[in-house]
Amino acid sequence: MENFEFLRNVTIGQYFQGDSIIHRLDPRAKITILLILVVVNSFILSFTGNVLLLSWCIALVLLSGISFRFMLSGIKPALPLIVIFALMQLFFYGDAYPPYGMESVTYWRWGIMSITNGSIQLVIVTLMRFLEIFFLVSLLTSTTTTTNIAYAIESMLEPFQRLRVPAQEISLIGTIALRFVPIFAEQMEIIMKAQASRGADFGEGGVFQFVKRTRQMVTLIVPLFVDAFRRAEDLILAMDARCYTGGRGRTKIVRFHMQRVDLLFIAFTAVFGVLIMVFRNHFPI
Amino acid sequence: MDTRGRVIIQVNDLHHTYLSGTPLEVKALKGVTMEVYEGEIVGIIGRTGAGKSTIVQHFNGLIRNRERGRVVVDGHDMADPSLDVRTIRQKVGLVFQHPEQQLFERLVGDDIAFGPKKMGLPPEVRRERVRWAMEMVGLDFEKFKDRFTFSLSGGEMRKVAIAGVLALQPKVLILDESTTGIDPRGRKELLSRMLNLNREHGVTLVFVSSNMDEVASIADRIYVIDDGRTVMHGTAREIFAQPEVLRRYGLGVPHVTTVAHRLAQDGIPMPRVPLTVAEAEEDIWKILSS
Repeated sequence: MENFEFLRNVTIGQYFQGDSIIHRLDPRAKITILLILVVVNSFILSFTGNVLLLSWCIALVLLSGISFRFMLSGIKPALPLIVIFALMQLFFYGDAYPPYGMESVTYWRWGIMSITNGSIQLVIVTLMRFLEIFFLVSLLTSTTTTTNIAYAIESMLEPFQRLRVPAQEISLIGTIALRFVPIFAEQMEIIMKAQASRGADFGEGGVFQFVKRTRQMVTLIVPLFVDAFRRAEDLILAMDARCYTGGRGRTKIVRFHMQRVDLLFIAFTAVFGVLIMVFRNHFPI
Repeated sequence: MDTRGRVIIQVNDLHHTYLSGTPLEVKALKGVTMEVYEGEIVGIIGRTGAGKSTIVQHFNGLIRNRERGRVVVDGHDMADPSLDVRTIRQKVGLVFQHPEQQLFERLVGDDIAFGPKKMGLPPEVRRERVRWAMEMVGLDFEKFKDRFTFSLSGGEMRKVAIAGVLALQPKVLILDESTTGIDPRGRKELLSRMLNLNREHGVTLVFVSSNMDEVASIADRIYVIDDGRTVMHGTAREIFAQPEVLRRYGLGVPHVTTVAHRLAQDGIPMPRVPLTVAEAEEDIWKILSS
C-alpha cells in the first residue's frame, strides 16, 4: 500500500512548539550539551557505557515532552540501510575488533566470513550509538527553532572570527540546509503524488529491490533537483532584494543570556561525560 | 440543465485526518458529501485550507479513506483494499497546482508518453495517445515532440504536463488549481481547451479553483467547501446569486456578478445572474433597448 505522508517519517529538522525545560534552554547550552555527548559517544565501546549514555538521551527526550514513538518513527526510512550495515559488521568484522571486556570467542567461520562475540558486540554497540546520536540531533531540532540554532552557532563561532572563520556564513548555510529539509519532504510528496497520478507505481518491489526502486526514483529526483535549483535562485534574489550583504555589523532583535539552569545542565552533562570517559576502560562489559 | 448522466464519483460524509497519531495531526475533512455526474463540469471552491485538495486526492486513490465516510468512483468502493488503484488512476486523471514541476524526461514526447508506457500500451498506440493529448492542449505534435522539456517556456511546460495526464485518456479530469501562475491569455486558452475537451470528447471535469471568474465561466454545478465540510451546492447561477453567504465563507463572486448586484441595488434588476461578460453584455443591452 502506498503511503504519501512523507512528513510522518521526517522527524529531524521538524520543530515542535512546547514549553518544556528542554525547549526553554538557551540554544547555545543545547548545542554544547550535544557536542559533549557526541564526543563521549565516539569514545564508548562498552555495553555499560552505551546503556548509560542511551538512558541519558532517553531521559532528555522524555523531559522534552516530545512523543517518543513519533521520534522513533523517524528511523524507519533508514532501516534497510541500517540492517545492511549491521549484517556486514556481523559477518566481516569478526576479527577486526576484539570484544571489550570478554575473551574472544568465534562462533562460526566460513572463508572470509565469521561471527565472533566481538562482531556481535560491535553490531549492538553501533546500533546504540546510532540511536544516541539520532535522539540528540532530533531533540535539538525539534525543541529549537532554526533561527535560534543559527543564532547559537553564530554566537559560538564568534571567537574564531579573528582567525577569519566566517561564523555568520557558516550558520546561514546550516540554517538554510535545515530549513529546507521539511520543504523538500513536502515537495517530494507532491511530485510523488503527481507521478503516481499518471501511472508511476511507488513502493512496488520489496524494500531490498534497489535497482527497481532506484529506477522509480528517477521520476522524483529530476523534478526535485529542478525545484531545488529554482528555490535556491529565488532565495538569492530575495536576499539580494533585501540588501543582504552578509553578517558584518548586523544586530539582533532577540538576545540570549545564559541562565543558571543552562549552566547547571551543561555542568551536569560535563560531569556525566567526564565520569564515563574516565571510567570507560573500567566497565565490566 | 438536466442532461445528467449517471453518477461517476460519489462521496458520502467523508472524513480525513492527516498525520493521525502524530503531534502534527490535522483534521482536514469533517463531513464532505458530493457527487459528480458523467459528462458535467463540477467546480469546487473554498478558501485556502478548506480541504479542496484533500477531497480530490480521494478521487484517484492518492488518499484512501480509512475513517468515516465512503468514496465510490465509477462503481468501485475506494476503501476496498483489494482494489487496484492504478485502474482508477487511468480513469481519473489529476493535474496538480504547478504541474510543470513533475516533468522529468529530456524530450517532450517521452514525458507525455510516460503514462501510456506504464499502462503497457504498444508503441503505435502510445504515439497516437501522445498526438491526441498534445492536440487537446494545443501543442503541435511534430513541432514539439522532440523539443527539450526544460527549454520550454512556463506556459508550454504546463501544457506538456497536462498532456501527460490526458495521455491516459481519463474519463474524469481533475484540475486542482492548475491554472494559477500563468498569464491571463494562457489561462483563457487553457480554459477553452478544457471546455472543448468536455463538450466534444465527453470528459467529465472537476475544477478546483480560487478564481471565481474562472469557475463561473466553466462550471455547471458548484460545491462550496468550508472547514472540511460541504456548505453549499447548486448550479453556478444559484451559488453566485448569494454573495453575502459566500462572503461568510471567505469567498467572493465573479466581477460581472458584482456589477449585476450593484445594478440591482441601484434599482436596475438584471433578468438573471450573469456568469460571463458576454452574458452581462447581452442582458444590459436588453435592458437598455427596452
